[in-house]
Amino acid sequence: MDIIEAKNIWKNYKIPHEKRNTLFEILYGLLDTKMGYETFTALKDINFTVKKGEWLGVIGHNGSGKSTLLKVIANTIRPTKGKITVNGKITSFLELGVGFQPDLTAKENIKIYGAIMGLSDTEIDDRIDGILEFGGLTRFKDTKIKNFSSGMIVRLAFSTAVQIEPEILLLDEVLAVGDLDFQKKCFEVFDRYREMDKTVVYVSHDLGTVQRFCDKVLLLNHGEQIGIGSPEEMISLYKSIA
Amino acid sequence: MIKNLWKYRHLVKRLAVSDFKVRYKNSVLGFFWSLLEPLLMLLVLYIVFADIFPSTQENYHLFLLLGIALWDFFAKGTSMGLQGILSKPGMVRQVYIPREILIFSSSLTALMMAVLELGVFGIFMAISGLMPTSTIIYLPLIFMTIFIIVFGSSLALGALNTYYRDVQYIWAVILQAGFFASGVFIDFSTYQGDLKRLLLLNPMARILLISRDCVLYNKVVSSWDLTFCLASSLVILLIGYFIFSKLEPGFAEEV
Repeated sequence: MDIIEAKNIWKNYKIPHEKRNTLFEILYGLLDTKMGYETFTALKDINFTVKKGEWLGVIGHNGSGKSTLLKVIANTIRPTKGKITVNGKITSFLELGVGFQPDLTAKENIKIYGAIMGLSDTEIDDRIDGILEFGGLTRFKDTKIKNFSSGMIVRLAFSTAVQIEPEILLLDEVLAVGDLDFQKKCFEVFDRYREMDKTVVYVSHDLGTVQRFCDKVLLLNHGEQIGIGSPEEMISLYKSIA
Repeated sequence: MIKNLWKYRHLVKRLAVSDFKVRYKNSVLGFFWSLLEPLLMLLVLYIVFADIFPSTQENYHLFLLLGIALWDFFAKGTSMGLQGILSKPGMVRQVYIPREILIFSSSLTALMMAVLELGVFGIFMAISGLMPTSTIIYLPLIFMTIFIIVFGSSLALGALNTYYRDVQYIWAVILQAGFFASGVFIDFSTYQGDLKRLLLLNPMARILLISRDCVLYNKVVSSWDLTFCLASSLVILLIGYFIFSKLEPGFAEEV
């Protein structure tokens, strides 16, 4: 069964020459006809499917559309053209976070995240200690997130995302910020997910882990789908277009 | 939309409660600040209208305080809803939740604050030796109507403010005007003819009028007035939802 199906996905961004964020600027802009915007195509006709239990790796240079693709799958941004179908509940780890609010403590944020994932209060309470321990943040459970270092936020976000039993997990560059110890923990989780038949879309520049965990790999270049296939094949193709 | 709100009810509750806490956590006097503001407003208006321009209204301080409490519900509710999307960028960009939840929970926070203010009003009423009569049963219905108005307006305002950041300044001016146009300190029922009809086209003005009638003056609310208020709140909700769903797909790119 296809858990994720992407059909002819296009995404255009408008890049205004001058960003207009207020009504006043828009009224002013009507008088000034010189200003306009360019269209930037971040994704061009992307097609793929992901089956249950499959790991899809997405690789490509910076600006190739990897993160945009993940956001489209997560439904936070909508494609300009094309259709994406997702069967199951998505846990997303985008832009190194899961939607934490800086003014709330670690504990409160975990509770809100649990509620987003549809967990009841008791289910969340059961997991809070595990989440904090996994991220090595038990001491800081009542600290506001805004006082966390960036590494701590990412660790907390990642442990929250993986400890609340996701069905489909979207991961964008998780390993980029953790230390060796944390990376080791991540790999243990990844191994467990492979056994548990979780569906994962994994974006990374770390070709070693892509090779190790992914069943198939999607290679993007400037928004175009260069190919989709076995990790070995795509990684060597990626190196050849470098 | 209702299906989504029910599906995410745990989240709605959490968000509403945590917003409520955050609002008061950072100040020493906590809840009392939020109550002090309407009371100071009461004091100013009372001095002006009881001493300088004497009002003939019976129990004018209660008349004022009820008006202030209900107007505050609307004004604070919509001001919070206006920031509902922008104030939680993470929940828009990093995870997907139906975004109307953010607006709904902010309206719910406003409702909790309004209930608190109503409590203060109740204390004042008791001190003044005025007991509510059976006509007070209309009050929950009136509260629900204001809640629908707040939610509907917030859907539109929150969405528009995400795209055009000066909507918040424009809305602040509209609220100022609305304070005068809704009869917070004036009794519109003493007006006559076309002027009265015109003023009462504003649902908030009518709501303030009927709530005073039923809470303070033991008058039964006419079904025409109730229908008018409820119908206009539903129209606001529909328009708000329409604007919101048109703008919602681009939120993550604009926040």
